[in-house]
Amino acid sequence: MSIFLVGLNHKTAPVEVRERLAFSDAACGESLRALVDGELVREGLIVSTCNRVEVLAASAGPQAPDAVGRLSDFLSRVRSVPVELFSGHLYTHADEAAVRHVFRVASSLDSMVVGEPQVLGQVRHAYSLAVEAGTAGRVLHKLVHHALRVAKRVRTETGIAASAVSVSYTAVELGRKIFGSLKGATVLLVGAGEMAELAAQHLAGAGASRLLVTNRTYETAQRLALAFGGEALEFPALEEALAQADVVICSTGARDFLITPEMAERARAARRNRPAFYIDISVPRNVDPAVAKIGNLFVFDVDDLEAVVASNLREREREAERAELIVEAEVTQFQQALRDLDIGPTVGALKEKLQRIARDEFERQRARLGPLTPEQERAIEALLMSTVNKISHPVIHRMRRSYDAGEEGEVQAWRDVFGLEERGGDR
Amino acid sequence: MKPFLYAALAGYVIAATHAVLSFVNKRRASERLTLYAAAFGFAAHTGSIIFDWARDGHYPLFSTTDALSFLAWTLVVAYFLVTFRYPLRALGAFLLPAVALVVLGSQLVSPDPGKVPSSVTGGSGSWLFPVHVTLLLFGYASFFVAFAASVMYLWQERELRLKKFSAVFHRLPSLTTVDDVASTAASVGFTLLTLGIVTGVIWSRARSVRMFHNDPTEFFALLTWVVYLALLHFRVQWRGRKAAWLGVGGFTLVLCTFAGAIALGGFHVFR
Repeated sequence: MSIFLVGLNHKTAPVEVRERLAFSDAACGESLRALVDGELVREGLIVSTCNRVEVLAASAGPQAPDAVGRLSDFLSRVRSVPVELFSGHLYTHADEAAVRHVFRVASSLDSMVVGEPQVLGQVRHAYSLAVEAGTAGRVLHKLVHHALRVAKRVRTETGIAASAVSVSYTAVELGRKIFGSLKGATVLLVGAGEMAELAAQHLAGAGASRLLVTNRTYETAQRLALAFGGEALEFPALEEALAQADVVICSTGARDFLITPEMAERARAARRNRPAFYIDISVPRNVDPAVAKIGNLFVFDVDDLEAVVASNLREREREAERAELIVEAEVTQFQQALRDLDIGPTVGALKEKLQRIARDEFERQRARLGPLTPEQERAIEALLMSTVNKISHPVIHRMRRSYDAGEEGEVQAWRDVFGLEERGGDR
Repeated sequence: MKPFLYAALAGYVIAATHAVLSFVNKRRASERLTLYAAAFGFAAHTGSIIFDWARDGHYPLFSTTDALSFLAWTLVVAYFLVTFRYPLRALGAFLLPAVALVVLGSQLVSPDPGKVPSSVTGGSGSWLFPVHVTLLLFGYASFFVAFAASVMYLWQERELRLKKFSAVFHRLPSLTTVDDVASTAASVGFTLLTLGIVTGVIWSRARSVRMFHNDPTEFFALLTWVVYLALLHFRVQWRGRKAAWLGVGGFTLVLCTFAGAIALGGFHVFR
């Protein structure tokens, strides 16, 4: 039995190619049924997202080379795209490499932004489509379930998805670091701008309950307040608003500092020293850097936030290395499980049969041996079992070797020699 | 009961190792193991204290060994109370190694003195002495929690100011949480310290008429009391960094108090 995979992703193929090969859910099921013929390809699954199109298949034998050719022909046929157009962008993986790839994709190690959470859901969705189409068999069941487990392990045991990788989300993250929870926090938006609005939205999403908006032109403030469900304030009320705000987001086109250390100091005193978080997204800056020197006030400008994003990305890369180790260990484990999935019952049946023969013979001759002490009885039992094991050991070894080499015919021959039924076969 | 105490020590060492591991490596499995090992150690430790009590026929708090062991026990109580109430698992990485060290230390200091002078166990108001020591040891445990939380505060505050975040930064709870824990622990500790000092003074008066003996422990205890009083009084103005520094400074004095009892000699040593 072997697993193979053909696909392309954001790294290997431009969007013009990816979009032509992408599958809709409906097309997916139909194509899967066309792919699985019960001969060469026994099981199939298609992952199709905006960043990747991958066809995963399991076959009975180790015919990976023709299978790969078959899969690209299949892609070309069902999507009506000539092979030449995408063959240069394809990657192909067989067996262990295919398993590794699936684990890496599910764990978001192969994603554009490493650690992003969507891909796991996409893999799960692809699997449910294959289950619906009836093209997921015991190999893919096992593979996908294992992949989901690996993804979960990677998420909980590494910090791969721990930190924010966008400026606006970083603002939320830092807010959480300072306030613990943003529930009930008051956010003050000074000026408007795409990034500031996005940050305000994220903060509201994280539980901030009150939004104050002020702007040089009061109408703009009113418009924003209406859009986000906040309160508009006249611009001169800025200082009063500072005293109420836990988070202040500045993004105006002012040429000089709007928030001076004196203002911030007065606001801090009015807030009885509760911490405040100033996010200054404007260039030139609106918050005097001297404000950062005041205790319990934390000021981050655009460069600071971007530096945090960059360091978070580096942190993710570092954590990804640890994740790769987890994936590697799990691949080995899965390969072992897969081997046992197939050869296990045969080995068990063989041992059981030989042992039964030995025991039956012993029972038949038992009467002639006369009375035996328990020690003698145990000695005979041990003698029989070790003889059986010594005889069956090289046979089992050969069987495993044939199985690992994919020589199913050979394995079947051994089964025939010992008169074993094939158990736990394809469902 | 030595076997119980050794079992407790083993539990604490395992818990401490895994607390540090989970702090550095973020492993859920280690977090669980930390909790189980600490709970096991705590159970064994409790057993050991009860057995000692039953064997000696008096509250087991008269020798340095007993006092250290009991201090470790109060620290574990504090650990469970805090982690139960606050999302502050990281505390284990600070507190559990300290617990393991204190238990180990309790076995390394001079062996049990055997007999406790009757001047301590007997006499009028003798029931006050265990109360006095118990209150103070629980107070010290609270101060340790305040200290650990203050260190976490300062560490993170520094990184926030420098805008450079280490891996550890992401494992620590928010500033508000640690500030909250530090101030709650400091006020609990302060209350216990006050009661401890008061019972000590009353006991001392009942026994020997003198209220103070001018030994280092008394001196440091009073100094500590003043520092924490200031900390709590200026709580609002000094929220944040200053309060955290005071939490660290106050704990240094607590260490002096305790070391005073052991190292500097004086009235507070019964050996």
